[in-house]
Amino acid sequence: MKKTMFIAAALVLGGIVWGVLDNVHPFGDPLKTPVDDYYIAHALKDRSSENIVTSLVFDYRGFDTIGEAAVLFTALCSVTALFRQGGRRD
Amino acid sequence: MNPLSVVVRKGCDIFAWFMVVFGANVIIHGDLTPGGGFQGGAIVATFLTFLLVAYGGNRLLSWVNERFYTSLVGFGLLLFIGLAFMGFPTSFFYNFVSVTHEAAMAGGAHGIIPPSGTIALMDIAVGIEVAGGLSLIVIYMFKGIRLYETSPVGTECGHDR
Amino acid sequence: MMQLLHLCVLVLIVLAGFFAIWFRDLLSSALALGAFSLCMALEFYILQAPDVAIAEAAIGAALSTVIYIIALRACGQIRKGNGGGVK
Repeated sequence: MKKTMFIAAALVLGGIVWGVLDNVHPFGDPLKTPVDDYYIAHALKDRSSENIVTSLVFDYRGFDTIGEAAVLFTALCSVTALFRQGGRRD
Repeated sequence: MNPLSVVVRKGCDIFAWFMVVFGANVIIHGDLTPGGGFQGGAIVATFLTFLLVAYGGNRLLSWVNERFYTSLVGFGLLLFIGLAFMGFPTSFFYNFVSVTHEAAMAGGAHGIIPPSGTIALMDIAVGIEVAGGLSLIVIYMFKGIRLYETSPVGTECGHDR
Repeated sequence: MMQLLHLCVLVLIVLAGFFAIWFRDLLSSALALGAFSLCMALEFYILQAPDVAIAEAAIGAALSTVIYIIALRACGQIRKGNGGGVK
């Protein structure tokens, strides 16, 4: 029973992984979307920031950067709470 | 951790300050070269780990002031969100001081602020925040393992146990 | 030439990951993870993502190795027997 279930699960997972790996783009040829073309065409011209990645991170996708800063702040708070001195301080 | 030999200590003395200068370079040139606020802040936070490895915790924890790093985190976050709010008559995160590339090439940039506007300023803000935060994480983790030696037995002190 | 360098970096990544699991000593394992992050940064640089390479080299190879070593030191104090607060 356990062996048949293992074989069935292995077949299903192997099929999923094979189906995904069959559809990966070839190396060095990523998928080109219209948004990419817009950013590459307009980022330098509008914002005059020569590093397009920074222009994306801080201007076009600013909310994501606020989320990233919040993640770092949450990690800091959790480390502080885990390693606190604790108790009453006298 | 015990202090290492004199060769390692002198090498780390020089190299730690070099890492601060290199991190500041990555931060303030974030809109021109690869890198940015997060990467530069992580490089600046390497300063404290250099000193921690070379000098050991006993001497390092008498040098650092945690309120300084806490104020760095708060200042960076508030500067970042404040810069985001300053573009508000148009929208949140509006880049209100940037000029277009043609105007910047024609010499239309304004003074000390880079032509990319809030992108460079937010780079500096996030760099300050990340440098303070990662340094503070290392400091608190090292103080956490010292709680075993310094805290009295039976009282509440960190680590669920 | 570039293909050969790329292949060497990929083999080094697999080797470092294998040794990170294979070592019985946890300190050696943490150092192998640091070498893994360093090779990973080189791989990111070859794949033309220098931003990610800088972040990986600073956080993966420097900060997380130091944090692992600090955690290992704390675990060693627990194992010595005199570390725990509540007996």
